[in-house]
Amino acid sequence: MTKEILKYLLLFIVLVVAQVVVFNHLCLFNVAVPLVFIYFIIKLPVTLSVNWAMTFSFILGLMVDIFSNTQGMNALACTVLAVMRLPLLRLYFPREEDMTNPEPSLHTLGPAAYTKYLLTMVAFYCAIFFLIESFTFYNWGLMVLRIVSSTLLTFIIILSFDSLTAKSR
Amino acid sequence: MRNLLNFLLRYSSWFLFAFYVVVSCGLLFNRNPYQHHVYMTSAGAIAGGLHDISSNITGYFSLRDINDDLQRQTAELQAEVLTLREQVRRYREDELQDSLRQVDSIGRFDFIIATVINNSISRPYNYVTINKGRLDGIRPEMGVMDQNGVVGVVNVVSDHYARIISLLNPNFRLSCKLRGSDTFGSLVWDGNDPTSAILEELPKHTIFHEGDTIVTSGFSAVFPEGLPVGIISGTARGADDNFFTLKIKLLTDLTALSTVKIISNTDLDEIRSVENDATSKSDN
Repeated sequence: MTKEILKYLLLFIVLVVAQVVVFNHLCLFNVAVPLVFIYFIIKLPVTLSVNWAMTFSFILGLMVDIFSNTQGMNALACTVLAVMRLPLLRLYFPREEDMTNPEPSLHTLGPAAYTKYLLTMVAFYCAIFFLIESFTFYNWGLMVLRIVSSTLLTFIIILSFDSLTAKSR
Repeated sequence: MRNLLNFLLRYSSWFLFAFYVVVSCGLLFNRNPYQHHVYMTSAGAIAGGLHDISSNITGYFSLRDINDDLQRQTAELQAEVLTLREQVRRYREDELQDSLRQVDSIGRFDFIIATVINNSISRPYNYVTINKGRLDGIRPEMGVMDQNGVVGVVNVVSDHYARIISLLNPNFRLSCKLRGSDTFGSLVWDGNDPTSAILEELPKHTIFHEGDTIVTSGFSAVFPEGLPVGIISGTARGADDNFFTLKIKLLTDLTALSTVKIISNTDLDEIRSVENDATSKSDN
């Protein structure tokens, strides 16, 4: 149990630092920003209560906000994402009891379900985040472009990271 | 009461969700940037510290280019300043001597830029090594400076490298004067602190204040006149000598040299030969 907590704490710190130091400065074609820190929310165990998931996600978002000067945007989007996590997961994987390990991964969910879950989560997050960021639809074409490209970029990065870690097991 | 507690517990997720949303919206809609708390921005100690660390790392990536640019720019400006100074001096001389015209070239000084590849500061006799040598036009007894001030004098030259007697070397005495006056003394390192040196033999009648700038006197033909060397930080010895001895805080940070400029005086050989002629004649 302690090992799990430590693992998540480490993941939290590594993701925040990586997002703030590296990924925030990656802006592909001036539209696509990888928002990889939500990997933490995606990886939270399904047995964790919604309250805790929300709290952790809120803190995660707040941390990224503080470091990247986006007041409350990521905190709000992360909270919403944490609430939507289990409903989205049940969409593709209705039998939570079948999971050997409560942590969603390529292994526990199977590649198809996990990929769909991941893509939906990332797309959902990017949509909320860029909606909050732009707020007015003065240039909604650009906003859609940003959502789609950022979703793809984040999805690819997280999936490749997952494949790498899955192979090493 | 029990019902209320049950109600709160059953819908705790909703309350928590609402709470977080309100908090983040509060942050989000706080449009006045001056009201943002410092801990909620990247100016906070931890966030700033992290960015500081990351820029400390990434800052090095382009540092070389930036540095080269700056050095080149400073070299150009410095050459311009010296040329202008020469020009002013020439006009002064013209003014004084009325009819006499000088035909020699105005820009007597040229700069060669080199990178420091070795530098000692902790030994009693310190030297700097640079990556330019004879083939790049460097000769012994050329002056060396960086963007802040004097570094030393070239003393050993190979084809591709040169060794410089650093200011932090008691063998090197630099003729200096107070900026804005013509009283001069001799700067030498006392062997203790790599950031300070001693200015000796300053005439007793000199009026100076702490914080005054010491510049090169231009008597040696190695350094042009008026290069900044240091700032007076106090008197070093008792006032009963015939000369003042001052503590000088060096403007050049010799502990962190990266790129230096070697001053090549195109008239150096001529000046040398004149001086040598004079001494050999007086010897006879």
